[in-house]
Amino acid sequence: MEPAVDITELYAAHRLSLVRLAVLLVDDFASAEDVVQDAFAALARRPEAVRDPSKALAYLRVSVVNTARSALRRRRTARAYSPPHDLSPPSPEDAAVLAEEHREVIVALHQLAARQREVLVLRYWSNLSEAEIAQTLDISQGTVKSTASRALVALEKAMQKSSPSSSGKEER
Amino acid sequence: MSTPDTMSAMEDRLRAALAARAELVRPEDLAPLAPVVPLRPRWQSPWVLLATAAVVLLILGVVFQGVTGRQRSDDVAPKPDAPQVTLPADVGRDWKTDDLSSTPRLDLDGDGIKEKVAFLAEPTKEHDGRIRLQTTLSSTGEESWGIAQLQSTIGTYTLDPIDADGDGDQELVLPYDDLQGGPDAPGHPLVFDLRDGLLVQLGVDQPELLQLGNVQVPGSETEFYDLVRNFSYGVEDGRLVSTRSVRSFARGNMTVLRPGTIVRDSWTWSLDEAGVLHPEPAGCLLETPDGRTTPCPDGARDGIPDLAPASTSTLGVGETADFTEGYRFSARIQPGDPILAVDGSDGRAMATVLDVPDPRLATVQPTAVFYDGASVVVTSASDPSRVEVLAQRGNFMPELDRAGDIPLENTADNRTWLAEDGTLLTATAAGDGTWELWQWQLVSGDRITALPWGPVCFDDVEDPSTGHAC
Repeated sequence: MEPAVDITELYAAHRLSLVRLAVLLVDDFASAEDVVQDAFAALARRPEAVRDPSKALAYLRVSVVNTARSALRRRRTARAYSPPHDLSPPSPEDAAVLAEEHREVIVALHQLAARQREVLVLRYWSNLSEAEIAQTLDISQGTVKSTASRALVALEKAMQKSSPSSSGKEER
Repeated sequence: MSTPDTMSAMEDRLRAALAARAELVRPEDLAPLAPVVPLRPRWQSPWVLLATAAVVLLILGVVFQGVTGRQRSDDVAPKPDAPQVTLPADVGRDWKTDDLSSTPRLDLDGDGIKEKVAFLAEPTKEHDGRIRLQTTLSSTGEESWGIAQLQSTIGTYTLDPIDADGDGDQELVLPYDDLQGGPDAPGHPLVFDLRDGLLVQLGVDQPELLQLGNVQVPGSETEFYDLVRNFSYGVEDGRLVSTRSVRSFARGNMTVLRPGTIVRDSWTWSLDEAGVLHPEPAGCLLETPDGRTTPCPDGARDGIPDLAPASTSTLGVGETADFTEGYRFSARIQPGDPILAVDGSDGRAMATVLDVPDPRLATVQPTAVFYDGASVVVTSASDPSRVEVLAQRGNFMPELDRAGDIPLENTADNRTWLAEDGTLLTATAAGDGTWELWQWQLVSGDRITALPWGPVCFDDVEDPSTGHAC
């Protein structure tokens, strides 16, 4: 007998963590919610796609990363990207403020190439192993290792370039 | 240069920032969950399945699109936007052919008879308009066309045709060359297939694997150089094939430090029914200095540059060296401060006070560092670690400043030597018996920096010519 995925349970259990993952990749709450919604929608359309329910979270993570990348690509293609938090109506999380020391890192993170950002987020926030990151991003472990190494260097340089006084507003 | 300590600090800071950013999203920020009926296992009644799925889909705010056949989870995860294939507009019937463009013949409709394709150029002042691919199909006698956007309408040419879907008809391959980006700018092919009676430009899945030239590795840019991977594509036996160097190479000052022998990954490209080309890994290739490629033997790896023997010939105070390659000049070290005196063949005389004890003047010019004038390497008889490079700037001969993280010195851990072919190299100890090889280049103004060649091992570190790939 083949088990199926209980999407409702998955939704309740993992939605918050997946939205947090998405917000680190796309950097605005509304888009992050959309990305996660799309991921669950894809799973809902094909619940049999995940034969082993224990792998559902990994599936959703792949889905979130891919959908986030598409969202960023659409922004670039439209050549109309500006930080969404400047344009969107205030979201509930707007009430919270990111400390300056963290804001600098997050701003620099979003100057990196998408693949670099994904590797860093999966490694340093999701705490995935190199093998898990490789599986999530469909790349080799060697590429994960080298990408992470170069991404850290690039992040450091991006932080050095960005002047704290160039943007005085706080992260929202 | 980033040290392990600074990297560790950066990792800690990144970890903290990510956690802080993520925690800005609080549970109460999420849209509230509506009451739900859990999905049942799918072996139960289809009516129950349908009803429960509909409830969940309503929550998710999506339209139910049905359940299709069994697929792996990887297959149905949303992928980045798929390449789009669109039918060409019927424009340019009155455009004219360009005299320098080719007229390829290939079997577009698969009837065994080749069609002749003409390239009609959109008339624009800068010759940068579109190109109409015009032909008459031998199977139906009907006209067919496609539209291509290259960087120039002059001299349009094609590669050999391909049959990427193995259906017996051929696809047309137009190289897209980035003429405005310079000789090092990457290019890629545009592939056209006959679909619905028209020549349709195919989409490309993973276009980053189908390029030509040196492509920057994202995030690799430093102040003085970046890293590139070398790409190529071509047609072999009717298949579109692309390759990418496994390793990346330093690029700076219009130079790419690429060894003659390199290992490449390769792909062949297949066409699906939706009109999209997909890469299929085709294994490892070893490219030799003559440009030929063969399947990789076991343990294939990149070569290292041809390391010329170190130049050990130097002159002391009062002796004169004549340099005859390129700009001809003579140089000597005069006693006193001491002073480097250079006399150019064009009558220029330059004098520079040397800040080097017991200076020695290398009799080989560092032409790989600076060729467009006089340049010399000065070492010290009493301090073997000292290495200075001086290069002509107008009527002066200043000492070049070192930039970057690699010290210009000759010590146990940073072996620096001037080779007989004019390259100035430094090998830095990696700590495990291997060395990292660097080549010095003039980067801007009076500054030189070291560009990485990659790892190298020496049979005898005192003899750089014994270097080989690790």
